[in-house]
Amino acid sequence: MEPGNDDALDIIITNVVATFRVRCHLNLRTIALEGTNVIYKPEIGKVLMKLRKPKITASIWSSGKIICTGATSEDDAKLGARRLARVLQKLGFKAGMGTDDHSLSAGRKDRAGTGRIREVRFSAFKVVNVLAVCSMPFGIQLVDFTIKNRPIASYEPELHPAATYRIKHIKATVQVFSTGSITVTGPNVQNVATAVEQIYPLLFECRKPKALCK
Amino acid sequence: MSRSGLSCPGCGSSNIVDDDLYCQAQLVCVDCGSVVSEGALTNESVYVGASDVSYSRTTAGDKKPCMNLLKGRHHVIAMCRILRVNREIEDLSQTFYSRAYQHKSFIRVTLRKKEFLAGCCVLVSCRMRQWPVTIGTISCLLDADLVEVGAVYKEMVTVLNIEAPSFNIYDVIEAHSQEYKISLHVAEELAENHKDLTKRAVELVELAADTWVVTGRQPVPVIMAAIYLSWQSLKPNRHRLKLSLDKFCQLAKVKKQKPAAIRVTEMKEVLCKLGKEIPWLGETLTPDNVVCQVEDILKHRYALLRRALRAREEALLPESLASCEASPPRAPEVSDPNPAESPVERRKRSAEGTLAPGDEAGQPRVAGELAGELAGGALESPDKGSNWGARALFAPPCVVHAKRRRVEQPELRDVTGDEEISDSEIDSYIRTPREAREFAQMQNMFLE
Repeated sequence: MEPGNDDALDIIITNVVATFRVRCHLNLRTIALEGTNVIYKPEIGKVLMKLRKPKITASIWSSGKIICTGATSEDDAKLGARRLARVLQKLGFKAGMGTDDHSLSAGRKDRAGTGRIREVRFSAFKVVNVLAVCSMPFGIQLVDFTIKNRPIASYEPELHPAATYRIKHIKATVQVFSTGSITVTGPNVQNVATAVEQIYPLLFECRKPKALCK
Repeated sequence: MSRSGLSCPGCGSSNIVDDDLYCQAQLVCVDCGSVVSEGALTNESVYVGASDVSYSRTTAGDKKPCMNLLKGRHHVIAMCRILRVNREIEDLSQTFYSRAYQHKSFIRVTLRKKEFLAGCCVLVSCRMRQWPVTIGTISCLLDADLVEVGAVYKEMVTVLNIEAPSFNIYDVIEAHSQEYKISLHVAEELAENHKDLTKRAVELVELAADTWVVTGRQPVPVIMAAIYLSWQSLKPNRHRLKLSLDKFCQLAKVKKQKPAAIRVTEMKEVLCKLGKEIPWLGETLTPDNVVCQVEDILKHRYALLRRALRAREEALLPESLASCEASPPRAPEVSDPNPAESPVERRKRSAEGTLAPGDEAGQPRVAGELAGELAGGALESPDKGSNWGARALFAPPCVVHAKRRRVEQPELRDVTGDEEISDSEIDSYIRTPREAREFAQMQNMFLE
């Protein structure tokens, strides 16, 4: 088994977190009233909106900043974010078409009361965090691994069963479990892949056969 | 002293003298007594060239060390005395505390966090001098949550750039077993001396570590379970066997840890699996009667482990023979399991839990290597890594009952992020005005 043979390793991206802005103030109460699949949390001051396809949960704040979580790839996250922005746009346009209900349209006007509908624009989309899991075909001696990679690696069995390895220059954190599974978090998918490539040889050095822990 | 050239505005005389009233310079006419001119209240020449000095600095005495720093150092000393560590560790922890206290991450935190910092300094000094202390002990001394103390510990180690040795469970066993008060003040048949207890507990923990019982678990419940089982097995009489873990902890005046009971069950299972391989044992072993055989099992544990694994391989061999498409000649006996050298297979999407038939088909393999892989249980590709638990004799529960990973939907593969979004899709997320009105009405009804 050569180290660096990572095309046989499957890196499964489980979560992508992205943020974007809509460049206008949002009325959360209106969104909660007119949107389906929404949960309004007035005590925190945000609305949770869940999209079906792609499966994404978005936290919408009244300042117009939105955080999307639950996507399985960066492109998925972008598509979901754009969809969300379209939903918000539609909610805004509906008031512009002159609905019967005055309270709805009033909520959408700005404070000056000029009746100008706020424009929802999709901007500043950025993938903030990517979480991936990977399974090594061998177990890992965590104590050995920590000793060889101190102080980058830290392992406290009383606090957490995994050893944490922080790769500073690519800002990725790898959590290594003794069964051989690793979870990698990083700012984008490329960094996550690089982190796995970097850590594979270190893990390979400290492997143990799965059947017997000796 | 008279001043020439000046005349009094009141009476016009030129008889004007300097008359200093306290610090204020004044020119006064002698004849009528009127003040001709007055200077500034202070003599400015004293302050020429001097800088402004703040009040606190002018009134400060010698710089005294912060009260909280002193209190913290007393806490550190108190904890060291309670743990009865040696002088070197005490001095080292004080040094660490003084250094950490001055650092910007810890200078302006709550007093509670400073207390935690004191505990962490003691902990790291003990670790560096190989004195076995757990984070659990420190959090008990501080009356705090283990996780909070752990967070402060990690921060401190990063900030001070200390390379502390890792936790080693075997060091802690002996220290931990001293806490169990079962050598004196208990009935004859229940008393046990610490040396024997520790020795057997260490062997049990070694066996547990080899069979995936220790890894990823809290160490203290594992130690508690090992001590309980070793106490029972050292003199497996009726009284000891009858006593449950709860009663044992009460007897030994130790606080019971909830996971310890599960560890006891797991260890007994492992012992049963090994006990089955004992050739001279006639009866079937159950968790109830395995305790009597613990001494024998521990004495021959490596041999029994080898036998058990070999028996498992042989049991799995017919299964794999049946599932293989190609049938190369296979060695019936396995020499030595060689799982570490087996190559990683290309990942295949296969729903069956058996060994991937596609791997062997058409690929020439050395029989011994293949058998070695079977023995190691490492034949499977990373995708079926979760299934090695079903085949291996000893595996952690997270692998035996593996979570089913959701299969990636193929249509999502082609997402670019910039596709067109149709209106009808978006409309499904928006309520019609009628629905919105009804929803608002219902909300009002609930609020009333």
